[in-house]
Amino acid sequence: MTDQPSTFWGGLGAAVPVALGYFPIAFSFGVAATRAGFSPAEAMVFSTVMYSGAGQFLGITLVSGGVPLLVSVITLVAMALRHVIYGPTVLKAAGADARTRFAPFWGFWLTDEVFGAALGELARGQRFSERFMAGLGFGAWAAWGSGTLLGALAGGGALAAYPAVEAGLGFMLPALFLALLLSILSRAQVPVIAVAGLVTTGVTLAGSPTAGILLGMLAGALAGLARKGAA
Amino acid sequence: MMRIEVLALAVLVGVATWAFRSLPMRFDLSGLRPEGGLSRLLGATGPAAIAALFVASILPLVAGGQGLPFWGGSAAVIALWLWRRSVVLATLGGALAFGLLSLV
Repeated sequence: MTDQPSTFWGGLGAAVPVALGYFPIAFSFGVAATRAGFSPAEAMVFSTVMYSGAGQFLGITLVSGGVPLLVSVITLVAMALRHVIYGPTVLKAAGADARTRFAPFWGFWLTDEVFGAALGELARGQRFSERFMAGLGFGAWAAWGSGTLLGALAGGGALAAYPAVEAGLGFMLPALFLALLLSILSRAQVPVIAVAGLVTTGVTLAGSPTAGILLGMLAGALAGLARKGAA
Repeated sequence: MMRIEVLALAVLVGVATWAFRSLPMRFDLSGLRPEGGLSRLLGATGPAAIAALFVASILPLVAGGQGLPFWGGSAAVIALWLWRRSVVLATLGGALAFGLLSLV
């Protein structure tokens, strides 16, 4: 791997651990989507076009809850904002090898885990190339899509024989949010997270979960804006 | 079957997600002052959104009397994250712990 360190196939190989983790989550997304009344085609559009795990799980809840489209879009777009730092961070880690000619192409595949895997590979001496990034991103995306398809085709009753796994589905989304929260946690963000959590809890308990999420996000973001000093 | 609102949601959020993932590499954001208002707002929006969504997703579990599976599942997520620093592993392990404890 030292002579041809940075090929598409090398990236695909580096995607294997991500793909192994993605497949069961995507499968359970397919099952959960079917259960919420989604067709396999709808589940696949979410997985291939939206391609954001936490956003997708929340999306099926919002759609089946009859939340207005605009509110759903604002909620999911605000959630996706965390991705803005991933590309520049990978390029910084790539050093002199950094290229962005095809970034609009492989950039779409920069999910939380692909970002983490790319940083890990670069830290272990892997040379950056856009082909490598495309292989890494494509491998993860293909696993996510195929897992979703199998889960959606298997249908809502697919996990009836595995009660622990079926019950665990109900915690997949909170677990994903908690893991994401831990992955972006820094001391500077603690007040932001605390304000967002408290406002969400208060407004939700006062009667409106949708307003709770939106106002919680807004209050947290403003708390970050109000903070002086550290980034 | 393809509902128009499902397609619209996927495309609108997909385009925004693509833009967030790709465009910062086109526009050099390194010139953005880290202590600037826009940087602070951008930096805080993601964590604020995820914190709000996490809280919203656990309130029904806690209120629904699933305290033990919730705390056990959350502890598993945190432990696995500290151990392997993998979002995927922490998510799967946490969900499995929740599932097992909810059968107790």
